[in-house]
Amino acid sequence: MEETVGPSEMIVHLGPQHPMLPGPFRVNAKLRGETIVDSEVEIGYIHKGIEKILENKTYLQGITIVDRICYLEALTNEEAYVGCVEKLAGIEVPERAQYIRVIMEELSRIQSHILGMGEYASFIGFVSMFMYTIRDREDLMSVIDSVTGARITHSFLRFGGVKDDLPDGFKDDVKYVFGNLKKAIDQYEVLFSSDSIYKARTVGIGTLTADVAKDLGVSGPPLRATGVAFDIRRDEPYLVYNDLDFKVCTQKDGDVYARIQVRLDEMRESMYIVEQCLDQIPSGPLFPEGTAYGKRSPVMRIPAGEVFHRVEAPRGEMGFYMISDGSDKPYRVKIRGPVYPTLQALPPLLKGVTVADIVAIAGSMDTCTSEVDR
Amino acid sequence: MQLDDIIYNPLLRGILGLCLMGAIFLGAMGAVWFERKLAGDIQQRLGPARAGPYGLLQLVADAIKLFTKEDIIPKNADRLLFISAPILMMGSVFLMLVAIPFGAIIIDGVTYPIAATDMDISILYIEAVSAISVIGIFMAAYSSNNKFSLLGAFRNFARMIGYEVPLGICIVSVAIMAGSLNIIEIAQAQSPLWFIIKQPLGFIVFFIAIMADMGRLPFDQNESEEELIAGWITEYTGMRFGLGFFAEYIHLILGSMLIVLLFLGGWNLPAALTANTILGIILPTAFYLGKVILVILTIIMIRWAVPRYRIDQVVDLSWKRLLPLALLNLGWVIALGLLGV
Amino acid sequence: MVIKNIITAVKNIYFGPTVTRMCPEEATKLSDRFRGLQKLDKDKCIGCGICANTCPNNAIKIIRARINPDSDKQRWFPAIDVGHCMFCGLCIDQCPKDALSSTKVYLTGIIRWNHEDLLFTPDMLAREVDINAEDEAGEEVSRWTPQ
Repeated sequence: MEETVGPSEMIVHLGPQHPMLPGPFRVNAKLRGETIVDSEVEIGYIHKGIEKILENKTYLQGITIVDRICYLEALTNEEAYVGCVEKLAGIEVPERAQYIRVIMEELSRIQSHILGMGEYASFIGFVSMFMYTIRDREDLMSVIDSVTGARITHSFLRFGGVKDDLPDGFKDDVKYVFGNLKKAIDQYEVLFSSDSIYKARTVGIGTLTADVAKDLGVSGPPLRATGVAFDIRRDEPYLVYNDLDFKVCTQKDGDVYARIQVRLDEMRESMYIVEQCLDQIPSGPLFPEGTAYGKRSPVMRIPAGEVFHRVEAPRGEMGFYMISDGSDKPYRVKIRGPVYPTLQALPPLLKGVTVADIVAIAGSMDTCTSEVDR
Repeated sequence: MQLDDIIYNPLLRGILGLCLMGAIFLGAMGAVWFERKLAGDIQQRLGPARAGPYGLLQLVADAIKLFTKEDIIPKNADRLLFISAPILMMGSVFLMLVAIPFGAIIIDGVTYPIAATDMDISILYIEAVSAISVIGIFMAAYSSNNKFSLLGAFRNFARMIGYEVPLGICIVSVAIMAGSLNIIEIAQAQSPLWFIIKQPLGFIVFFIAIMADMGRLPFDQNESEEELIAGWITEYTGMRFGLGFFAEYIHLILGSMLIVLLFLGGWNLPAALTANTILGIILPTAFYLGKVILVILTIIMIRWAVPRYRIDQVVDLSWKRLLPLALLNLGWVIALGLLGV
Repeated sequence: MVIKNIITAVKNIYFGPTVTRMCPEEATKLSDRFRGLQKLDKDKCIGCGICANTCPNNAIKIIRARINPDSDKQRWFPAIDVGHCMFCGLCIDQCPKDALSSTKVYLTGIIRWNHEDLLFTPDMLAREVDINAEDEAGEEVSRWTPQ
């Protein structure tokens, strides 16, 4: 974006300090009146150097670090990291542990989508909807808390399995919570689709086409809202997704309304997946038998090699590329986050809209800046 | 001394005006407390609950906080405009206060409204004076040396220009039906039937237009927090911010009073109830204030229950939807008048 | 158009219960597996140092301390810097003798003004010295209860 201004133009920096931006990034916008002529996005305000930190921690310590890349998708981040190590070391995870991992990751997906929807509602001035979603999310967090011991930074997965088994009565808890959650999601859908102010703010705004999305590498709900049915759980299944029956939710329009609708549908699919898992889960050991892997993990000296493992995080495709050199610490870990290309898609979307839509469009992409900057 | 001498004595009227000013400040503090508690109820949480029983002293705590803050004026700001903008906003609200009655006392069938003045063209005066606040907002935004405030001021102008027209047309249609521009006579002309029954379309248009005039959601683009930080009041701290903040809530109370006076019957009660002297002193004012509180409750609830429009949609709404409806209502009133209803 | 939203708001005023929890007065309901401050069992600890190696923040140091208040004999025990501890639970999992265990203390015993007061010695970790945790939050422990 050029810094020169024409006769009736002005440059506004929607800076990193802002009461309602989804994360500290900066949007420089050149405005003519209220419409945006040009814009650019700057990131890097909360770079923490996680990839460098991971080079100095052992594999077990790395699990707690990877948790903290983005606290809303902690379990899927752990899955990507632990999956890399298991591929390098040739560890096979027993079935019960795989089912438990799938259950916890789908619960984590539901709570991330609820928060994403509520946050979007608060960006268009609908503060009450945000409060409703936070209240409904509380029960879900209590259930996750009863299994892993923490609400956000779980450190739940271990190499070869999971740390603890499901507690007694987990199935009844989940059934109770899902009963309330289904009613709540139906109510959100009714509130969203019958409100004409909401539709005036979302239909036709920030339309992303399928070609642009595929060129930039966008993945997750923004890609599925443009009609491309790409889901890693279906195309490159890891864990037990092969045995589960679920559908990939898509919409055709690619605007903000479609993205929110995809998230609503995905929440229902996740609940269905959890119910299937709870029916099909076998009993058995949590760690592979006859090996040293257990809750008390041995010192991991992985044979040298490199591997790339990707999972379907709530925001898109999360991948870890790990190079190990035979010692007990990784040589290099490269993290491919899902939101970085989504944020890159923002400047062409922002041409010609008013200032009020910057935050709305950026919020509908469900940006988590902590994961963009790492 | 006659009762008339007491009531029309200028000195007593002046003291009554000052008392009303104090009462309206307390009313504004009560309105803020009410809003925060109601927002909590809608969102299934408690509102202010720790400062005093039920959080009633929360506003006192906030006022003390605002008084003790550091007074910052930005370096390149225009000092004269910056300092005088909140004063202008408060002044416009107080000028409105002068002509709006706060209740009535009915003794022996004669109504004595509690108002600081009794003008012949009071409704026209009220609408004209409430438009001065637009200049106040623009002065505040222009002198702040802040691009976000400037964007807020532009939006404010677009919104006010769009909504003054349907508002004026609705007021004219009410005046035609009542036969006078004096707000006290308009309130008293609703004796058997309230005007909301005779012109329901006018009520809807007036309600939406006055919500936009007051700057409440869904029309508060000039101070929306998502993109403009705080709009025109971004650079204000301490009690200067408090003045602008309270001016908005006093405008809310006065706007609700206007709605009740113009469409919802004012203080009219059946004559049988006001025959007794003591009831005649208390009942009309209590009835009137009760209706005002109900209208305030509705406006606050609408604010917390709906999202917010974009500015071009707001302007679109006023010129393309409300203006034809207001003209239709005017034609309806003229037709009713010609038919002799 | 916007009527449904307003009706939901009105319904919430009358039928929705308040879910605020008055935090310092009412204790938070914690789950069974909640990870709080560690508790050291001095009889089981052998001073191997695996917990110090495992801690991601290097918050554990192994120092010499008495084995109980009555004797003079000293052994190696862990001292935890609670200011740097992130309560991840790795040290509790890795201990070969199960000497470290997790309690439900997260508030009452570990709020201090200075960082020096947060360096918990092995005596404090074994609760031989009182750490001001009058009632360790834990009477309200529940698996999960519907709100």
